[in-house]
Amino acid sequence: MNSEINEIFSDEEMDILQEIMNIGFGNATVDLAEVIDIYVELSVPHIQVIDVGGLPGYIDSTINKYDDTSIIDQKFHGDFGGSSLLILPIRAARQLMEYIIRSDDDQNLSMTKPMVILEKEFLMEIGNILIGACVGKISELLNTFSTYSPPRVISESINDYQEYIKSFTPNQAAIVLKTVFKFESKDINGLLLILTNYESIGWLRKALNDFLESYE
Amino acid sequence: MIKKILIIDDSAVARKMLKKSMPKGREYVFEEAVDGKDGVVKFKEFKPDIVFMDLTMPVVDGFKSTSEIMELNENTIIIVMTADIQPKSVATITELGAFTVIKKPARTKLIEEALTAAELKIKKISGAA
Repeated sequence: MNSEINEIFSDEEMDILQEIMNIGFGNATVDLAEVIDIYVELSVPHIQVIDVGGLPGYIDSTINKYDDTSIIDQKFHGDFGGSSLLILPIRAARQLMEYIIRSDDDQNLSMTKPMVILEKEFLMEIGNILIGACVGKISELLNTFSTYSPPRVISESINDYQEYIKSFTPNQAAIVLKTVFKFESKDINGLLLILTNYESIGWLRKALNDFLESYE
Repeated sequence: MIKKILIIDDSAVARKMLKKSMPKGREYVFEEAVDGKDGVVKFKEFKPDIVFMDLTMPVVDGFKSTSEIMELNENTIIIVMTADIQPKSVATITELGAFTVIKKPARTKLIEEALTAAELKIKKISGAA
């Protein structure tokens, strides 16, 4: 952990955040498995505080590490408020849909809508499940609750993408909770980012300490 | 009688939460390990009665660590305490020899039940020996 993080959160507070993210994402994978029978390999979450002015660049460089990506964005509101980004390879939608479009009825469904729209709706649903379960569990552990805006898929077109990056204003600092995962059987790597607003740091510190105190 | 407990978890907070969630009135001696590799080393040195094991850890994860510990002593009681409760993870770790799997975060009642079941198994093993 670097000194800039230590100025805002103690090591113990960072550790609680990491553990809570771990529990939140673990729950999310179980919820996902109820919809798609797929195993998700988990990794240790990473927590980072991004400086004022650094967020658009951070998101841009993080997303650019992954070629040809789909971005599912969902905002959440409440004491624990912010944005969550699920980043998956473009091919993920089609590959993961193979798990649910198997019956004749489902195949008929796939004929009624263009594939590209089905894939987009599918990605939004995956995002909704993973983000909702993860943020929901984090909120529950921190003794609050969150409401959600509908998820949206950021278009792969350069204009939409750049507009999206610009929407993270340079005066917005953030705490980033990042977890990298892999859909095992499809060899698809993904990334879930939870960006909380800088303004919620005071509340978050108190909530983290209250959480730990419940174990004292 | 369970006395020595080894906790293998990369999160210091998770280790602390687990210790605080242990049933009251029992005197345990704890040793802690920060990942699966450290866990195997501490297992050999500390010779615990039971092991609490996380699954998602850096360096060496809980699956490999469980496998290595079970190779060292097939009678080891490993209670897995994890956020990764996907059916395949639970099935895999059970096949590797884990005694039971408990979902994080730590809850005293579930830990107490697991410890009671572990005591019974230890008695059974000692009786058979």
